Amino acid sequence: MSLKLESQMNKKIYICGMHSGQNPSAGVGIARSIRKAFPNLPIVGVDYWQGSSGLHDESVDEVLIFPQWKQIDRTRHLAQIRKILDDGNLWISALDVEVYWLAQNFGGHPNLLVPSGSALKMTAKPNVEAFTSLGFKVPENISAFLSDVEVHSFLRQIGWQCWLKGPYHDAKRISSWEVFEKARENMQKEWKTSHLFLQRHKIGNEESICFAAYHGELVSAVHMEKRLITPEGKTWAGHVTPVSPELLDGLKTVLRRLEWSGGGEIEYTRDPDGTKWIIECNPRFPAWIYGSALVGLNLPGRLVARALNLPIIETKSLYPFFTRVVQEVVAKEAIGIPMPPDPSLTPWPAGGQKGKAGPMQSSLIPPLRETMELRTLDSIDEEREAIAVRIPEHVPAPYSAEIDMVTESFDGETPTRIHLHSWTMSRFQELLDGIKPTKMFSPEIRIGYSIKTCPTTEHISKAQKSGFYMECISQLEIERALNSGAQPNQIILNGPGKFWPLTRPPVTGLHMLFADSIEELNRVLEIPNIAECIGIRICLPKLQSRFGVHVDEYEPFQELIASIKKIKGKAKLGLHFHMPSWIIGVNRWKDAFQSVLTWCEAIEQLTHVPIEHLDLGGGFYPTDLVGLNFRWIQEMVKMSLPRVDGIYFEPGRSLTQEGEIVVSRVLSVRRDTDKKVSEIVVDACVAELPLIQSYSHRIFFRPAANEGPTSEFRVLEKGAAKILGRVCMESDILSAGMKLPEDISIGDKIIFADAGAYERSMSYAFGRG
Amino acid sequence: MLLDAVNSIAKQNIGPERYYDRWLEHPTSSILHHDRECCDQARLWFLAYARSMEGWSSSQFRLNAPTWLSQHFNWGPSIWPISWCELVKEKTIDCGVFAALAREIFTAQGHDVHAGQCLLSYNDTCTNHWKQLWKTKMPKREDQRPGEVFHWVGDRVVYHEVCIIEMPGEEARIYDSTFGGWYEPLERVGFGALLSVRSECPRILKWGNKLLSCGEWVDL
Repeated sequence: MSLKLESQMNKKIYICGMHSGQNPSAGVGIARSIRKAFPNLPIVGVDYWQGSSGLHDESVDEVLIFPQWKQIDRTRHLAQIRKILDDGNLWISALDVEVYWLAQNFGGHPNLLVPSGSALKMTAKPNVEAFTSLGFKVPENISAFLSDVEVHSFLRQIGWQCWLKGPYHDAKRISSWEVFEKARENMQKEWKTSHLFLQRHKIGNEESICFAAYHGELVSAVHMEKRLITPEGKTWAGHVTPVSPELLDGLKTVLRRLEWSGGGEIEYTRDPDGTKWIIECNPRFPAWIYGSALVGLNLPGRLVARALNLPIIETKSLYPFFTRVVQEVVAKEAIGIPMPPDPSLTPWPAGGQKGKAGPMQSSLIPPLRETMELRTLDSIDEEREAIAVRIPEHVPAPYSAEIDMVTESFDGETPTRIHLHSWTMSRFQELLDGIKPTKMFSPEIRIGYSIKTCPTTEHISKAQKSGFYMECISQLEIERALNSGAQPNQIILNGPGKFWPLTRPPVTGLHMLFADSIEELNRVLEIPNIAECIGIRICLPKLQSRFGVHVDEYEPFQELIASIKKIKGKAKLGLHFHMPSWIIGVNRWKDAFQSVLTWCEAIEQLTHVPIEHLDLGGGFYPTDLVGLNFRWIQEMVKMSLPRVDGIYFEPGRSLTQEGEIVVSRVLSVRRDTDKKVSEIVVDACVAELPLIQSYSHRIFFRPAANEGPTSEFRVLEKGAAKILGRVCMESDILSAGMKLPEDISIGDKIIFADAGAYERSMSYAFGRG
Repeated sequence: MLLDAVNSIAKQNIGPERYYDRWLEHPTSSILHHDRECCDQARLWFLAYARSMEGWSSSQFRLNAPTWLSQHFNWGPSIWPISWCELVKEKTIDCGVFAALAREIFTAQGHDVHAGQCLLSYNDTCTNHWKQLWKTKMPKREDQRPGEVFHWVGDRVVYHEVCIIEMPGEEARIYDSTFGGWYEPLERVGFGALLSVRSECPRILKWGNKLLSCGEWVDL
């Protein structure tokens, strides 16, 4: 061995991030890869925690354990790492947060194998700008701290199939508004940042491109297709192949531009059409990297060989797959194993977690992220602050103006509900305008006003004047509609309890009646002249609902066909489908609608009874219904069911939700140790706003006195202060976080918009003596 | 050709399989239609159900495999012939029924799909279990005659049915409708390895570096 080579072989490779647990760091994989290539090169395992299990791995020669981050003297730590690097040793980090910290504090030290700050910025989530030239697409995403209305709208559009993601790692699956709000609050606390974002879930197979570069020069790259994945989304087995020459060329260019040093991984999903959707770029080697080395593509080995000018020999596996195996090893006495935690740290696992009641992992592993200072995050948060002061687009000027007008001189008792007349009228008009272009085509689009949603005289009257049918769910609602001037043949009767109360005879001569079960359909058919059109509500497979005939089993479908045949000659046949788009999302609703058409075609073919009325229900969010392409719906129906005469929508929420506000006053203001407003208590509560946690509400502020620095009426933006309700119930939290004026005081008004519809009809009296 | 498959199997130290000839000649499975309302109703229900099971997030893609089939039905013995009105009441079906149902779904989605047959290698531990499973779980029917059961399982090799989907550019994709996965045109030996495949597509299709021509067994 030459002297130079011998000298290089004495350099040490420091690898930081050695924990090998359920969510392993890459340190062990990197160490094993380097050991495979260079059996005699000294490897030092580094971590900030004695319990880091990979320190015990046989690939590690020496161990360097730092104290927990919060106990570290930064100057001393910097000096120690600098000396290590200046002595010619290499440092490879497998900890995301440490990578950022090193990049900020060391710049481009030749022996530090981590990317620079500018490279990290170009590869940061969610847009991962650096790699768009390589053909990767970025799934739709938004900041989780935009206004609730915008976030809610985003989630509806993508069918509530979304991830809430943190700045480095950590992702939570979002399936409802309640889940989102809780996850956002928890993740914000955990990461101490508002740099969280929501990203659309993309279905497909997960793949990775892992690369190693030395100061801008691509050393090697590998493609890995995940074959087995743990419930936490970690790779357990994979198929390793070389990267295509075209992609390799592009990657070379990008990494040269980024002056990348160290390992990196582009994680992406390949959808069934072959589109590659980038998930994230990790600024380090992945934990599975030893799998790649085993099949003959040893990236850490090649990186070290390049950095130290060492020759490397590799042997390729004929079967380029790897799998992970759990393995016990003898612990090294010099490192030791931490003492078990005190039993009081073993809480009963929340959320139905599996396993024995062992300590929560987070109570054992000291989180590096908690105290590691990161300027990148600070700057992002500043950016966010700048965005927050912009006039939000989610409050249309006429809406805000009407709320301003009706509350300006209001001095009555609170909480109180105030109707927004002009805005409500505009909602009705917008819907009429929306369906107007469909009038010259068939089938006709017809509207049935959902009385249960908002049964005020004003709304019913407006619905009648607009030419809407009255959609009722009980005999009492029919009575209400008739008393308001409606005729029986303008009434659509739905629901599981439509004949309640049984003490009075059912109203007959209705326009349409949709049975909720086969038993009810058979009963209804025996009532003479009950309705011009008799139909059935169906519940599609995969959609959870207690309503309608579930056609996911064959036997009920057979019975349904037999019953529908009996309608022939007695009434026209209708079919009802209702699944609120605000719950399942607009696109999913459209897909369900197309699926309904398939069921209708089958029913027509088997019964030889044409479907003449198709009721598509309600449950649309205000902005979603008018955004529907009614012409497309007409065309789809016409193509599948040529005998359909009318397509019905039954809006309630979309017409009335925005049209009422609840005005409340501040009862108490609480401040934190910095004297910043942390919480306020208002005199409204969950009794007036029973659905406050189910969907987003716009919240306005109006000071008690129309003078002084906070005198202006305004919509509140997201912030850190909680708005608490007046009653003694834990769940009475009206907002998890708003930005409140610092001089807010008792008597100022907090105005909850979007408080019509079910917020009105389901509100109740509580705590009023 | 199948003989090549036999040879390659021999190379792997797998003994001769006594059902090779029957596998070679076995026609692909198809579902019987009674040409009456009973089967009309069952088939239309199944197709409507399949449409609902597609799911909106998958239905946007060109190829939307019915992976839900393997969650809806258990894999196990079926009595042949099987009709539409019988199978909708079944909880357990064999690979032939799986493949026939998947073909119906792919066709309804607008794809050109064809029956496919495969030979796969397994160990005798598995095959013995499967033989026993078929022996004990095979439903009994009054008019069933002895010897009516198709011997799909050998000692180290098994017969399997799949779907072959025509893709643009005369490419093929092979879908294992029983377990909801796509086969890869990779040569491999060992447990679960695909040894040979036969397509019923009337056109020659490319599958990796292989050419699948109608009715011909092609070795991996």
